[in-house]
Amino acid sequence: MKNTAAALLCFAAVMILNFALPRMLPGDPVAYLSGFAEEDMTAAQVERYRSALHLDEPVLKQFGYYLGSIADGSLGYSFKKEESVSSLIASRIPATLQIALPALVISSALGLYLGLAAGSRRDSALDRTVNAASIALNAVPGFAAALGLMLFFCFRHRWLPYSGLNSPEIAAAAAAGRVSAAAFLADRVRHLALPVTALTLGILPSRCLLVRNTAAEENGKKYVLYARQRGLAPGIIRRSYILKNIAQPFIVMTGLSVGSCVGGSLVVENIFSINGMGRLLTDAVYTLDYPLMQGILFVTAGAMTAAIIVSDIVCALADPMAGRRNSDG
Amino acid sequence: MADKPIRRGTVSFALGTALLALFAAAAFFPGIFTPWGRKELFGLWEAPSALHPLGTNYLGYDVLAELVYGARDTVVIGLLSSVISLALGAAAGVISAGEGRAAALFSWITQLFIMLPRLVSLIVLSAFWGSERAKLALLIALFSWTGTARAVRAQVRHLKAQPFAEALELLGYSRARIALRHMLPNLSGVLLSRFLLSVNSCIMMESTLSFLGMGDIYHPTWGTMMNLAYRRGAFIRRAYLYLMAPGACVMLLSLAFYLMSVRAGARKEIISQ
Repeated sequence: MKNTAAALLCFAAVMILNFALPRMLPGDPVAYLSGFAEEDMTAAQVERYRSALHLDEPVLKQFGYYLGSIADGSLGYSFKKEESVSSLIASRIPATLQIALPALVISSALGLYLGLAAGSRRDSALDRTVNAASIALNAVPGFAAALGLMLFFCFRHRWLPYSGLNSPEIAAAAAAGRVSAAAFLADRVRHLALPVTALTLGILPSRCLLVRNTAAEENGKKYVLYARQRGLAPGIIRRSYILKNIAQPFIVMTGLSVGSCVGGSLVVENIFSINGMGRLLTDAVYTLDYPLMQGILFVTAGAMTAAIIVSDIVCALADPMAGRRNSDG
Repeated sequence: MADKPIRRGTVSFALGTALLALFAAAAFFPGIFTPWGRKELFGLWEAPSALHPLGTNYLGYDVLAELVYGARDTVVIGLLSSVISLALGAAAGVISAGEGRAAALFSWITQLFIMLPRLVSLIVLSAFWGSERAKLALLIALFSWTGTARAVRAQVRHLKAQPFAEALELLGYSRARIALRHMLPNLSGVLLSRFLLSVNSCIMMESTLSFLGMGDIYHPTWGTMMNLAYRRGAFIRRAYLYLMAPGACVMLLSLAFYLMSVRAGARKEIISQ
């Protein structure tokens, strides 16, 4: 369970970083934690914020208050938006998940399928195509891919909508209960198609290459040769021999990629004007709402930690040897 | 079969070098590619024409000139951050290849940085610390050295197990001499290929940050250009070339470094970060 331990350590590091950042950097922590510039505040206001934020107390006590704000789930207070950070984030998470999760699932499935097919037929036409396409796609920045898709599907041809999660008229009608659930869902899917595709294109190549390379390595091993000599069909060798042996690195990689998936979704949300966590973060950066930024970093790190722990558990379940090997070494 | 991968590597190396030479020329001698200066004013949102092959932008600047002059800023920050990340990665890799507490500590630190959500951390850190070019390069480097560290660590471990390493130790050479005179030359292949791949990922990261509006506005890179094109309404103005050309340049530059890295022995290395 080395990954789980490292993930928890990483989570702790983000927690400490969040506490230390406003206090260590040059400038008054009051300015960082309230989000208002010192020169915009009167002395009385600064003092009020200082005591409201407990900045006049010893550092250890401050850390206690900080841990308390995590424990009670508020994650601090955004003075700019006059709301607790956690409720701001909670209202935006569903939109982010609607993009990130489908993209994660589709890219994993496609990556596994294509990578396995290419890796087990080394140097075939399929292998070369998958390789070249992955390398070329890998060189495209995620935002450029998203803009290209938008250009083609929304502006060259007016096939798909370019902003939001629902058309305004459908959303209004749904709020009034005048639209069937199926129509609402269809509209949602139409809006999600491009963002999800853009994010999938961003994650797919590296995943495909990893599966392809590990599969190609397994394919050269003796047990595969024996299986082939015994006359087993290529499909069976691929599914019941190679797949089992590349499952672990694949699961670990999927868990590790959740962080970059959220990052990618952040870019995509900004392009397709979707009110998820990503837009909340850029909004926080533009308005210098530091507590909100820290809250988003905290939540992202938490999601990543959870994903790594889950992938560790899945790994142990997928291969009973893993549990034994890790416990004695 | 034996000579095939080598030939393939040579072709891609030549292609990569040619592409890179093109971008280097744009970075050093922008005057070759465009008669206009970066901030020469023309009409707003002009369509592509013989005078302005990519049109003009929302301020009336020639888009091609902006693109050509942006090459230097893009390449500089990419190189700067990857040099720093190479140094960080090499140091961390060498230390964690050893034994004892320091090695264990550095392995943990490497693992930690692999897991940290890169983009979100970078956005938050640059918002707190500032997004001037040097700071941004340092921050990007801080989040892209792990691949190098792991490759260096593996190579050093491999070298240490070689008979020559043992022989040198028995002959009584100092550890510093062994490290610098005998280990380092053997690491150059790994370092070179990691460097090329990390220029690639650093440029990608910088473009993304700049596209989100978190880049250094005094040194506008291609990412910044796309951000402004998108925000100022290039879609509505149908200035599609203005919008997509910087993205195509980032892609070609990134491919150039990748193609060169193929020859540098990175064939098995996947760009998986």
